[in-house]
Amino acid sequence: MTSTTSSADASPPPIFPLHADHLVLNLALIALLLPLACFVLLALVWPLRRAGRLAGWLSATVAVISFGASARLLMLVVGGEAPLTETVGWLVRDGKVIASMGVHIDGISASMLAVVTLVAACVQVYSLGYMAEDSLPAQGRYFTYHSLFITAMGGLVLAPNLLQLFAGWELVGLCSYLLIGFYWAKPSAGQAAVKAFWVTKFADMGLIVGLLALYGATGTFAWDAHLVGIWATAVPALLFMGVMGKSAQVPLHIWLPDAMEGPTPVSALLHAATMVAAGVYLIVRAYPLFELAPSLLLAMTWIGASTALIAAATAIVQDDIKKVLAYSTCSQLGYMIAALGSGQIMGGYFHLTTHAFFKSLLFLGAGAAIHAVHSNDIHDMGGLWKTTRISALLFITGSLALVGVPIFAGFFSKDLILEEMLEAGQYVPVAMLVLGAGLTAFYMTRVIVIAYFGDAAEGAEHAHEAPWTMLLPMGALGLLAVGAGFGGDLLATLWGQQYHFGMTPIGITTSVIGLGGIALGIMRYGTSTWTADLLGGLRGFILSGPVDRFWDSAWRQGLLPFAQVVGWFDRYIVDGLINMVAWLFIFLADRIKRFQTGRAQDYVFAVVLGVVAFIAYGMVGA
Amino acid sequence: MTFTGIESLTLPLAVLALLLMVFLADLLVPAPSDGRQSDAQRGLGALTCVGLVGVILLSWWMPQGGLAFGGAYVQDAFATYLQRVLLAAAALGALGSIDHVDRNFPSRQGEYYLMLLFSLLGMVVLAGARELVLIIVAFELMGIPLYVLAAMQKRAAGGVEGSLKLYLTGAVSSAVTLYGMSFIYGVTGTTNLTAIAARLSLGDDQGPLLVLGLLLSLAGMGFKIGVVPFHMWVPDTYQGSPTPFVAFLSVAPKAAGFGVLVRLFVEGLGAMRDTWWPIVLVLCVATMVVGNLFALSQRNVKRLLAWSGVAHIGLMLLAFGIATVQGIGVLIFYLTAYVFTNMGAFFIVDVVGQDGSDDLDAWQGLARRSPALGGAMLIFLLSLGGIPFVAGFWAKFLLFWAAWQAGMGLLVLLGALLAVLALFYYLKVARSMFIEGTDGPAPRVALPTALAITIALLGVIGIGVYPQPFVDAALAAAAGLLGG
Repeated sequence: MTSTTSSADASPPPIFPLHADHLVLNLALIALLLPLACFVLLALVWPLRRAGRLAGWLSATVAVISFGASARLLMLVVGGEAPLTETVGWLVRDGKVIASMGVHIDGISASMLAVVTLVAACVQVYSLGYMAEDSLPAQGRYFTYHSLFITAMGGLVLAPNLLQLFAGWELVGLCSYLLIGFYWAKPSAGQAAVKAFWVTKFADMGLIVGLLALYGATGTFAWDAHLVGIWATAVPALLFMGVMGKSAQVPLHIWLPDAMEGPTPVSALLHAATMVAAGVYLIVRAYPLFELAPSLLLAMTWIGASTALIAAATAIVQDDIKKVLAYSTCSQLGYMIAALGSGQIMGGYFHLTTHAFFKSLLFLGAGAAIHAVHSNDIHDMGGLWKTTRISALLFITGSLALVGVPIFAGFFSKDLILEEMLEAGQYVPVAMLVLGAGLTAFYMTRVIVIAYFGDAAEGAEHAHEAPWTMLLPMGALGLLAVGAGFGGDLLATLWGQQYHFGMTPIGITTSVIGLGGIALGIMRYGTSTWTADLLGGLRGFILSGPVDRFWDSAWRQGLLPFAQVVGWFDRYIVDGLINMVAWLFIFLADRIKRFQTGRAQDYVFAVVLGVVAFIAYGMVGA
Repeated sequence: MTFTGIESLTLPLAVLALLLMVFLADLLVPAPSDGRQSDAQRGLGALTCVGLVGVILLSWWMPQGGLAFGGAYVQDAFATYLQRVLLAAAALGALGSIDHVDRNFPSRQGEYYLMLLFSLLGMVVLAGARELVLIIVAFELMGIPLYVLAAMQKRAAGGVEGSLKLYLTGAVSSAVTLYGMSFIYGVTGTTNLTAIAARLSLGDDQGPLLVLGLLLSLAGMGFKIGVVPFHMWVPDTYQGSPTPFVAFLSVAPKAAGFGVLVRLFVEGLGAMRDTWWPIVLVLCVATMVVGNLFALSQRNVKRLLAWSGVAHIGLMLLAFGIATVQGIGVLIFYLTAYVFTNMGAFFIVDVVGQDGSDDLDAWQGLARRSPALGGAMLIFLLSLGGIPFVAGFWAKFLLFWAAWQAGMGLLVLLGALLAVLALFYYLKVARSMFIEGTDGPAPRVALPTALAITIALLGVIGIGVYPQPFVDAALAAAAGLLGG
């Protein structure tokens, strides 16, 4: 990695150099600070915030400009601009920088910033349509939080050291909390918000201690610091604990499905494309640290692969379209973590970017469907192919990208991961991931067949197509869901690596298994005439005799029980354990409450008891 | 005793002068008949506040480093830093009290501010006291007005009760402290802390009697700052006392108490750290754990903040126990951040609770009824919880940093775990404000209270965004004390 981190400079850093001619730096600052200005404006000028629509347009415009700046920045970096780090001392002691903040611009951060601002701009424009039915002050609040999120995420991405990354990390967590609990009238939203914050904060405990240990061992918060001895394993392991919370890895993934209580565009931006990927981004950034801990990398591979498989299996039995996508996000993050664990940073990062596009597209598509029928349940949808043709097409495009059908984006990144992992000799995890790909194809097909081609449910016959503000950003993401896979070369240039795509055995295998999953899904759920027409002959053959019995038993005795067991385990054991810990604390707190009797003589007695204990210690101990 | 070095007493004398001014003004201002509110009475609070701001400014102008009373009082950098914190807390407290006092006991306003200033005088002296007798005297001067202030709401349920509990445990603790200090004097033959330190550095007479004296003094001090198991008065007294006074009570006596702890145990008995550190360690862990556990199930916001305060004291005790320049510097920086954070939070509690309920239910939907109050409270809560870009983050971060440097990795781990636990109850309040409840009218905020909240907010955000000058000053003050 060619980072030129200067956060450990001995000399006191200069005041932020705002060179009029330094385009790269200025673009980064525009992308970062314009949303901040928008947030401050909306937070302080309450008539503007309460105006709602105006606040929304302002916020969306700022997001688009922010994307424009980051796109130009990315072009400059691709064009060969040298990596750049500008920091300003945040906390300096005796000429030694304890904490600094600033921007670090290289291929990784510039491309991630472009992805974040692009998805953010799309989601904000989409929200203008999606949130139109909410009250104006509520819309104002929504866009205020959104602007804060872009700044926080930008600060995380451009962080020149792990401390600033952590600061951004906590702020995006706060935005997530506020946005999950956005629909305050629903009690479940409040519970989900608290749960999300609490679980991720629990994981952040590791991150905090890891950062302190890093500083204690090396005297800097730089991600390319040189660690030795036990710290070489302990520090990245502690950091990884934070990653597991933020990027929803088993068993700390339990907050993500609940987080779907937030507005759907929020799920698209925070809980699919950007914020949950921050954990993966942290590993990519701090890879020089992780590299030193082979045992941790191995554990990461297994945790990632398990998450990919378990979450995919759980997604099969969900009826809430957003929950399906949430488990799918866990699962895809598992792919990335597994790739990073096997040392394939390029593959993991590539999948992060493509996933950001197609998963946010899927969420926006799901949002359009929910917008049309006012329900999250796929069984309440049905027949949306007829009524909302454009968003249906876009949703299917996103699904094909997720499943990894050739030429769609997900195919390239998933293929790269599996290919590289296979070369690294990770056979069992690769098998788990390939199986996960099959399950992915199956659950997405299930959603599409039921929600878009199934018999129209009551109320879904007269669903209306989404307004242009929603369709336009979906279209943009749709193009990327198809085309982003061809960006591998660009990404490889940024990384200074070679990337040649070729059809490999593992790619073909995965594609075949994916198509198998699709076929299985259509056969299992496709009851309408459309599927009968399309697959008439094929279906006739497959459903006859032994083939049918094979599939049927595979479904009844294999997949379904497996998915149900995993889902049950997830709901009651993993979730239950965490709930039990919380309950235990509250129980304990209730119990010890009786020591606080409220009687003054007891208080004095406690004082005397303390003094006696002191004296006893003094006599015995000293 | 000659009065050499009277210029070193500038700050205590200035507070005394202000006190006399308020006293005179109170005599001159006609007491309103039948207990109604009057502008002249309100002016007493404004006078106190403005006067205190003047005293703070004075602290930059006065001579530094001098001794008074034959070395019993020292105006060193540590004292000055702590006094600024105390004065700021008092000024902020007076500003935030103006509306509350005016509403609840309009005819006794002079009494309120006088008691506040008397207590402050004790604290200001305490910050520079380097002699056992002066410490005791200043301690009582600080404590007794607090008992009076806690009982200002004579007729409110719990008002007198809270004060009585504070008084009873306080009296026992004072006796214990005095008893302990008599042992220290008996063994070392001097009451001057510098002389005691010099005696100890000779390496002999660390006998059991000295240890006993040390432990008893520690127990007595523990009461003032609310360390487990001497903490039980805290929630009851907070609940029953006027809320703006609680804002003051929750920070200023703690700061003064930690000042004395540092003077006595680091400056004076620093050579015996091996003896007192194990006890402080136990107290610190117990205080953090108990404070956080009790806070978890509270539904009364005043009590919740009281218990959260106990937990914070545990963290500060850790900083104190490190007893290096870093540790002490972090301790007084933590106190600074805590003054703005906790006082701001209590002022909002006062605003929300003016209808009579401090229950969490009264907070429902606050963020929608008044986005400004909700947002401000969220920032205070985040600061208490230690989230970046607000003051509390740097306090916690630097504390963990100093503890890690001192090789206390396990304590950092425990602190981080409990910090997560703490977020749970801070979020409970945030959840009430942001995610629950219905729309309704915004609570009334008087101008002085709004001003006090704004200043606290600016302090919290200012320290959070640009901590450098505060950290520098705190570490310089600590370095001056320990000669590092």
